[in-house]
Amino acid sequence: MLMQQLLNGVVVGSVYGLFALGFTLIFGVNHIMNMAHGTVFMWGAFAGLYAVMLFDVPFPVAVLIGALGGGTVSVVLDWVAFRPLRKRGAPEFSSIVSSIGASLILLSLAQQLTATRVMRFPFDIFPIVVFSFFGLRIQLLQLVIIGIVVLMVIGLLYYLYRTSFGRQIRSVAFSESTSKLLGINPFAINFQVFFISGALAGIAGVLIGIVFNSVHFMMGEPLLLRAFVVIILGGLGSIPGALIAGLLIGIIQTLTVAYLSAGLADAIVFSALFLVLLVRPTGLFGGTAAVARVTRR
Amino acid sequence: MKALTLDNIARSFGGLPAVDGVSLQAPPGRITGLIGPNGAGKTTVVNLITGLLKVGGGRILVGDDDMTEADAPTLARAGVARTFQNIRLIGDATVLDNVVAGFHRHEKAGTLANMLGLPSAHHERREFERKAHALLDRFGMTALARHPAGSLSYGHQRRIEMMRALAMEPSVLLLDEPVAGMNDAEAYSLADIFRDVARQGVAILLIEHNMRFVMSLCEHIYVLAFGRLIAEGTPDEVAGNPRVIEAYLGS
Amino acid sequence: MIGFLNSYAPLLELALFNALLAFSQYVVLRAGVFSLGTAAFAALGAYAAAILATKLAMPTWLGLVAAFGIGTLAGALVAIPLARLRGVFQALATLALVQIVLSITLNWVDLTEGALGINSIPKTVGLVGMLVAVVVVGYFLAVIGSSSIGRAFDIIREDETVAVSLGISVPKHHMIAFILSGAIAGLAGGLHAYNSYSITPNEYGFNMLVIVLAMVVLGGRVSIWGPLVGAVILTVLPELLRGFQEYRMVVQGALLMVSIVFLPRGVADTALAALRRRRIATAKAKTGTVTA
Repeated sequence: MLMQQLLNGVVVGSVYGLFALGFTLIFGVNHIMNMAHGTVFMWGAFAGLYAVMLFDVPFPVAVLIGALGGGTVSVVLDWVAFRPLRKRGAPEFSSIVSSIGASLILLSLAQQLTATRVMRFPFDIFPIVVFSFFGLRIQLLQLVIIGIVVLMVIGLLYYLYRTSFGRQIRSVAFSESTSKLLGINPFAINFQVFFISGALAGIAGVLIGIVFNSVHFMMGEPLLLRAFVVIILGGLGSIPGALIAGLLIGIIQTLTVAYLSAGLADAIVFSALFLVLLVRPTGLFGGTAAVARVTRR
Repeated sequence: MKALTLDNIARSFGGLPAVDGVSLQAPPGRITGLIGPNGAGKTTVVNLITGLLKVGGGRILVGDDDMTEADAPTLARAGVARTFQNIRLIGDATVLDNVVAGFHRHEKAGTLANMLGLPSAHHERREFERKAHALLDRFGMTALARHPAGSLSYGHQRRIEMMRALAMEPSVLLLDEPVAGMNDAEAYSLADIFRDVARQGVAILLIEHNMRFVMSLCEHIYVLAFGRLIAEGTPDEVAGNPRVIEAYLGS
Repeated sequence: MIGFLNSYAPLLELALFNALLAFSQYVVLRAGVFSLGTAAFAALGAYAAAILATKLAMPTWLGLVAAFGIGTLAGALVAIPLARLRGVFQALATLALVQIVLSITLNWVDLTEGALGINSIPKTVGLVGMLVAVVVVGYFLAVIGSSSIGRAFDIIREDETVAVSLGISVPKHHMIAFILSGAIAGLAGGLHAYNSYSITPNEYGFNMLVIVLAMVVLGGRVSIWGPLVGAVILTVLPELLRGFQEYRMVVQGALLMVSIVFLPRGVADTALAALRRRRIATAKAKTGTVTA
């Protein structure tokens, strides 16, 4: 029973990780807290859902369209909400405010579109196949989700650390002014960062929509709130940190719901965030170098 | 009357030494110069002295007190004041408010007195404003007291920074390129004020790029290049030092 | 006049409640603290007051003291770990605080009645009570704002490096801001509980956080007129848009974005700055004619 819950926790947690990855990527490169990342996730799920409903596309295509949808919304978000502020050299605070505004708009549009209904992917979107070994029941869907997350993470790491685009992104993250001197085009970098981040969120949206069998306009908010916890726990801008913390939060939440009470899950998860900030503000996996970027001088 | 003493201080960024074993002394009542070509590490030295950066090695003394581990507010309260190379004022606040801010370390009225608007807080504020007006007078800016600092000219903004630093009534005053961007007339009128301040027993460390200005003002000069001191002495000694000439012309 | 007051009293009371919440948000933003904790502090105050009144039949004044006290205490406790953190982390941690409080009020059913909220709280605070609270809090914020604390807040917000170079302790002032914010929001929550017959957990969630933030961003975060102007606009606007209920969130969102991009200092502070510039210009013109 415990093993079963752990497994469920790992599946949910890996999707949290995927979602948080995009959030932490933007944070790491642009030092922006994208409060609209939850609505990007939701629009990604919508894109996948409508593709299935209107054109009856199969699961892999739905995931792909979810990624495209999320990426597109995210890039538009960057242009509308963040670029005007970036030009002015505005501080973190205004980006938070502006992205909250953008998320209200995106939320409201989704609400209008769906008339506040909860929608579902058709049941046959993914065949129900269950393997069982050692008394553990694993669905094919769960395996595929873990597979997709692993694939995306390897892809992202490869992109960031093995390609010249990735080197440019990392150099902008390190120092934007220096990168400009090196002739790196920040426009192209931001486009990539926001698209990748949105695509990851979109994929997470489709997967979560299928796993929990519901897609609705408010689905992004709890995920965004959890992403905050994940990036604090994992250390800001840290990719492995986001993944490990994502898994941890997924497991904690699943176990709390299973053994204590559903209502307590939030209290425990968010108290964990508080505790980490109190004891180790750089996150559980952040290095000492991060201290300067977390605490004040 | 306190001297500033740097004893072999060092600091590196990501393994690259920016300041490497610098020792110098700025005694009270003297204008000490610290010069060097661009990128020599002058501003890093200022940031180390004021506690904005942590020292990697060596000691910083203010008078007889070891301030090596002190943070920036502690150093400021101990009487170390500075100006910034790139002017940093509160642009929306008035000139007067910017200057009054300098008196922070002399505040005696408590937090509660300030919150409740008790008379002690009022009196203190009025006293600071009176002193600030005296400074404005000395710098010839009385008429501009109520203007937003950000709306004034570059030269005026430099003066406001200077007044704010003087409002701290410091024992050690660090001037980071205080006349950059000023014409000669403006620069030399400020030089008179610097001499005046030094005469009252303040230890002034003048960081400058402009050789001519430093030579005319300082009694003792240290020369920094690539994070190390390459020469020190009177203006004449320094000007004749072949290593200094090489450092300046070579860069 | 009386008829007018009667028909608009609920709206006015709401505006005054919002003004108090905006004051709580304003005081932290002025000090450069990115706290989003106002909703949490207000919830604590509201529940303390409501529980004292309904379960223990305590008098109103005691309930308000408790609301004020619990808000102050919560602000102080939160400040200890958060005063040394950078802005984004303060925002995240206080956002978590709102979620923690929400989850407690939803789940500790014995004490809070859960999602249904506490109902039939005697209405003991009216329009006059709310107005007095806004005036008193506004007065103290104005006093603090023009004292050395307000000056330190401004310097910290604009340039932390300058602040520390002048000997200003950033953690100390952030602590003061957090405590003030908690106290004001706690009191606001208590007043609201005694003014509105019932309270529910979800009133004090993410929506309140967003609206209160919007008020201060729109109004301005330096002068105390900022939160007042913001609160009035964002209380009246939904009334005017009643016919376009579905687009309310779009309008609020757009307002938030437009004001942060085009009016980053807020309506009130921008207007005050323009007024000051004009006064200086006319003064200059006068002295100009004298010397000529």
